[in-house]
Amino acid sequence: MHPEKQTHDFEPKIIAFVCTWCTYAGADLAGTSRMQYPANVRVLKFPCTGRIDPVFILKAFQQGADGVLVSGCHPGDCHYIAGNFHARRRFAAFRKLLEFVGVDLNRLQFSWVSAAEGGKWVEVVTDLTEKVRAMGPMTEFKELAMEEQWSGAINTPELKEAYSQI
Amino acid sequence: MTEPIDTSIYSAVTAAIQTEAQRILAAGLVTAIVGYAASRRNGSTQPIIVTDAAAAEKLIFTPASVNNLALYLTKAKKEIPKKGKIGIVVKGCDLKAIVGLMGEAQLKRNDLYLIGVPCAGVLASTVQPSTALTADTIASKCTECDARLPSDCDYVPNVQLPTQPQLAGKYAVEIARLEALTPAERWAYWKEQFAKCIKCYACRQVCPFCFCEQCLCDRNKPQMVDTTPRPAGNTAWHIVRAMHLAGRCAGCAECERVCPMDIPLNLLNRKMAKELKELYDYEAGFEVNDKGPLTTYTDKDDQSFIK
Ligand code: SF4
Ligand code: SF4
Repeated sequence: MHPEKQTHDFEPKIIAFVCTWCTYAGADLAGTSRMQYPANVRVLKFPCTGRIDPVFILKAFQQGADGVLVSGCHPGDCHYIAGNFHARRRFAAFRKLLEFVGVDLNRLQFSWVSAAEGGKWVEVVTDLTEKVRAMGPMTEFKELAMEEQWSGAINTPELKEAYSQI
Repeated sequence: MTEPIDTSIYSAVTAAIQTEAQRILAAGLVTAIVGYAASRRNGSTQPIIVTDAAAAEKLIFTPASVNNLALYLTKAKKEIPKKGKIGIVVKGCDLKAIVGLMGEAQLKRNDLYLIGVPCAGVLASTVQPSTALTADTIASKCTECDARLPSDCDYVPNVQLPTQPQLAGKYAVEIARLEALTPAERWAYWKEQFAKCIKCYACRQVCPFCFCEQCLCDRNKPQMVDTTPRPAGNTAWHIVRAMHLAGRCAGCAECERVCPMDIPLNLLNRKMAKELKELYDYEAGFEVNDKGPLTTYTDKDDQSFIK
């Protein structure tokens, strides 16, 4: 029997960028072990966390993600030896940049989940989903995408005056 | 209050550069020298490539010698044929860019003849080139410069750098102000700034480190960054630019100087430099490093943000 399904007002979209060797296998394990976790997460598989370009995260937010998870092998377990070490530095820097631009870092989660950690995958995904659900939809990037206004906007007193004289 | 800044050494520097340029060109040590020459607007300078010893007298150095000439040595300018050594006039900040490019295997030290300039500062991009240099008209980058005297050059004019009045670091102040805001306020600030961008890519073209033959932002299969000058694509462009230059940027502030829309671009680069210094104790300097902070790692790097 399926447990009673809870309904929510807001179902966040969570995009998970995972490496194929550890976290993807971990998520697979969670599935084959019939563990339950929120269906809000959309998993995208990459060879390695080292292949996950920060611009993917940006793109995910622009296309409507409310939260993003990046997950790969624990340090020392990388299939390509050092991909996750490089990723660790890159994402440490990228977080600082997003923070400075004004993105709420609570929407972005990083984790190490090994092929044996089906339980940890469930926990990470559930935590992030619930956290983002409580925060509500990510509107900033979506609003930008909707905006037609561009640098030619007549939005200063000088420009308005010049325009009215044409 | 406009505290004047002593630039009297620049006439001696100019004379020394001319003499040295004349000597190395005549002796055949270099085939060309990239430097500054007087330009048409009163007091302004422009880059010049001198190949003839007789033309060495055109070279000058003034507070309006703002360009980072390292740009002319990169792959982005590879149509300039390279025959023999090239001489180049560099300020400390420009030298950091050359050093960075050497670290990235874009330049070889042996191909260059570096003429270092003891620098008292250059003018901000917003003032007329004939303006006198003061604490108000000086470029923001010069208020926090730690590289007035370039080192390891082939030639540095023998002049005494005047002591500089203590200037408040303009970027540091602004970064601190932004850091103290809430994320929503920062978002609003940058949204307004990025909305101004017209996607002319002047900032990219002038940056010595933007030497990729095809920029990610020009690709359309897949298109990761919207190319239209609208808020979404502009924001993505600025985030990508800051990220691609993190750990590489030499802090020459050329990107900000050339921006026709007066976007304080270099704040992003300097913020990243500040964070990388805190995280990995890395700073752009005069020492050639094969690996930057984001192309290397240790097994003890901070991972407090990873679950
Ligand atoms: S120079 Fe300024 S307006 Fe041009 S692309 Fe760069 S930020 Fe945008
Ligand atoms: S990003 Fe700007 S300050 Fe940094 S190296 Fe490029 S042009 Fe110079």
